[in-house]
Amino acid sequence: MTTVSEILGINYIVIAPTLALLLTVIVLLFCTITVSTPMYVKKYVSFVGILLTLFTIFLKFGLFLTDGVSSYFMEKILLDEFALVGNLLVGIVLLFTFNSFWKTSELIDDKTTEALILILMSASGFLLMIDAENFIMLFIGLEIGSISLYALAGLNKGDQLSNEAALKYFLLGSLASCIFIYGIALVYASLSIIGVYETSIAISFIGPDNVPLTTFVGLILIIVGLLFKVAAAPFQAWAPDVYQGSPTGYVGYMATVAKVASFIVLARLVAVSLTFIIDQFDLFFGAVVILSVLAGALFAANQSDLKRLIAYSGVIQSGFILSGISSGVYGISASMFYLITYIIQLIGIFTVFSIISGQLSSDFQISNISGLFKENKFITITLSIFMLGLAGLPLTSGFVSKFILITNLWSYERYVLVTVLMLTTVAGFYFYLRPIWVAAIEKTENVVEKIQVKNSDKLLLGVLATLTIYFGLLPDTLVNITRWMVEGYL
Amino acid sequence: MISIMFSLLLVPLFSAVLIFLIPNSRKEIFRPIGIAFSLITLTQCVYLLFGEFAKTEFTILSTFKWIQSYGINLHFGLSGMSTLLLLLSSLLVFVSLLSIGKDHSESKGFVGSLLILHFAINGVFISGDLISLFIFFEALLIPMYFLMGIWGGENRRYATIKFILYTVFGSVFIFIGTVYTAVLSFGVNGRLAVDFETLSSLSLLESQSKTLFLLFTFGFLIKVPIFPLHTWLPDAHVEAPTAGSIMLAGVLLKVGAYGILRVSIPFFTEGFLAYKNLIAILSVIGIIYGAVVAIAQIDIKKLIAYSSVSHMGFVMLGISAGGFLSIEGAIIQMINHGITAGALFMLVGFIYERRHTRKISDFGGVKISMPRYAAIFLFTSFASIGLPGLNGFVGEFMILMGSFNSYKILTSFAAFGVVLAAIYMLWAYQRMFTGPIKYEENESLSDLNSRETASIVPLVLLMLFIGIYPNYIESFVIQEASFLSDTIAMFKDLK
Repeated sequence: MTTVSEILGINYIVIAPTLALLLTVIVLLFCTITVSTPMYVKKYVSFVGILLTLFTIFLKFGLFLTDGVSSYFMEKILLDEFALVGNLLVGIVLLFTFNSFWKTSELIDDKTTEALILILMSASGFLLMIDAENFIMLFIGLEIGSISLYALAGLNKGDQLSNEAALKYFLLGSLASCIFIYGIALVYASLSIIGVYETSIAISFIGPDNVPLTTFVGLILIIVGLLFKVAAAPFQAWAPDVYQGSPTGYVGYMATVAKVASFIVLARLVAVSLTFIIDQFDLFFGAVVILSVLAGALFAANQSDLKRLIAYSGVIQSGFILSGISSGVYGISASMFYLITYIIQLIGIFTVFSIISGQLSSDFQISNISGLFKENKFITITLSIFMLGLAGLPLTSGFVSKFILITNLWSYERYVLVTVLMLTTVAGFYFYLRPIWVAAIEKTENVVEKIQVKNSDKLLLGVLATLTIYFGLLPDTLVNITRWMVEGYL
Repeated sequence: MISIMFSLLLVPLFSAVLIFLIPNSRKEIFRPIGIAFSLITLTQCVYLLFGEFAKTEFTILSTFKWIQSYGINLHFGLSGMSTLLLLLSSLLVFVSLLSIGKDHSESKGFVGSLLILHFAINGVFISGDLISLFIFFEALLIPMYFLMGIWGGENRRYATIKFILYTVFGSVFIFIGTVYTAVLSFGVNGRLAVDFETLSSLSLLESQSKTLFLLFTFGFLIKVPIFPLHTWLPDAHVEAPTAGSIMLAGVLLKVGAYGILRVSIPFFTEGFLAYKNLIAILSVIGIIYGAVVAIAQIDIKKLIAYSSVSHMGFVMLGISAGGFLSIEGAIIQMINHGITAGALFMLVGFIYERRHTRKISDFGGVKISMPRYAAIFLFTSFASIGLPGLNGFVGEFMILMGSFNSYKILTSFAAFGVVLAAIYMLWAYQRMFTGPIKYEENESLSDLNSRETASIVPLVLLMLFIGIYPNYIESFVIQEASFLSDTIAMFKDLK
């Protein structure tokens, strides 16, 4: 006899990572209402919460091994390769950025717990978003994640830039959410469906040629909502201001987690929902890719604020990742490889930034790292490795990811995209090498003094730099993982 | 033989890491360690010279599985030309470590970067497929960026960025070419196989061959450099530190010509036949233009830089003529130019360390205060001009003789390059060394010390040896040159 929970598909392991994070949040909430919880308790609670999340993600792996790709909770939650890898990436991002955001949270008086709660809440939201089968679920996850990020951007109340960042992020983000939900409404209105898999079934049922225009508009609006989150041009305008204004320690988390979740969802959307009509989106994706890399390269060339530079570089990298997502199943796997190597470098860069800035201030000019090498050899070398990785120099993972991606694009005969992307790579060398020049090569009077780097930070940077070089020399494992992600959609 | 080939990669890398690990308080031992390890590499290269692959075409000796799901493997191998160039790069690293002044030799970063450069250069010459070739080709940039950026001259920022952007721009074309070849190879072999053995059996349409030839050759020609893509070279040479200039002129320029001989011609021969006239015209323009501009230079380092443009023009003329003799001459000229240009830059470095100026007009009568230096400079100048009996003559003569059949008029023009070389080198020598001493500072210049003499003498001996007995060096490249010229002739007949 089937139980009610089986009919409804209730299986708490599937949402266990989200639940683990929510549990941590509740414990932290209790910490704030009891009068004097010591700082270290909060630190350990949140750290244990993150470890618990990672552990539950492994439980999900176990479930996947027995169940395979399947949906739960009345087809609201999906368990597939994208969900697993996405969950794992969010967990890893939390773990790797913990040092930076803890340090910054400690500095914000009276708001340490709020900051931690916001971060963990947003992570739980993005986990839900990655797991969502249903568009409404997707929207809820996106909103839980994003709203926490808006607040996080403005947490440094005394700083005008921080306020500006939060307001801009909130207003533009809300607009993007409106567009997103309008897209869902249009798809529902035209096809009466509201799920990722349902869309593809409905389209195959009515035939790819008979898809109504409303559905197309709806799907494009949904994609635009996601593109906003990854800061692809022409939806990139918020990114530099938000990166610049937010407390430096948070930017690493904010930048990576939204990108991971949105790209995973986008990849699944393309692989599943759009699988029959993806050809008709070529022009749209191509335009976004070209706009992103060109706009990113043009604006990045003359930035003196390092966080803005990385924001515009993020626009370029989003263009690269998108170009693969819209180029066949193997293109998606190449994009996933690109995404993983990119977030490793991004976390590394922001870890270095938060170590150097060392305080709450959001200001991080290129002069902040002038002569860094003289007293701080280790962090300069790691920063250089990450920068060279972003530039795509051989022996780093950046080269391998670009190589795989461009090979896929070329075999997909996207010659225009390849040309534009490669020209951007040349331009990239100009602005990715500049921080290295300022930090290590230029002779300057006012060098950065010796910075005390915690052992945990050293370990983290060492691991990230090693991964960057390891995936550049021996990329086989990661390539296999990303190939495994898309094997079901061949 | 395989273990020696890999130790050519690992020994420089290991020594660089070792030097980075030694604390700065023991800075006097950086140079001895570097020299010891580069001597090991040099000995291994000499051993390779007597090995079984020293006179053959390119033979793949070892394969690594890199990305299995795409079927991409990395291949490494050896050939006659590779062996000679490996020997040249090891020798130049050795002598430049010996020649650099104290402020460079006691810097961890400088010696370390030089050894990493050595690692990357060796990697280029043993690469057996397009991907590893590209990886090492780009990896060259990292140590050069630091060498030029940190220890360069006043205008180093501009020169370094220019050098990097030019090279990266060129390598983008090589990258796209590699991707295109890989995708074509995927259609035939079912995997992205781009090793040199698979490529030689890949049959291409004429249009594909032309496109690929253009993509690869454009990237390599920037590195050579050919007129009008040469403008990064004088800036880079003037701003680079002495050891950087030696490596740049001695080996890095050869990487471009090596790539054309190794990749562009054998695999995309139809493209080569279509565009060889254009390359020949550009190289002859480069020969004359480089020489004429060299005459007008007031900076001795810039003069030698432009003379490099002229000499590499000879190499490209020989390659584009495509006959057996001319290709053989081009390979030999590559080695010869590496030796003479390296020696000239080293000599300029010596006098720059003493006087801190490179302006020709600041000297005059230096022969009186530095007789040994003047003698060696004159000897090297003669080698560079191509005086019979010295190495420069061998390569240029073979190139001119080999190219005359294909390009009668162009070769006649190119021959003037030798005369112009005599004008700029000897005139510079006259202004710098002969006559009375004009400036007081030049009176007290000390002659070369034993370390400096020791670092230049191996190069001088090689100039003489190759000049007198060119048979020996020729024996290493006969097979490879005949393979290339046969390939070209075969495709010509097919047409």
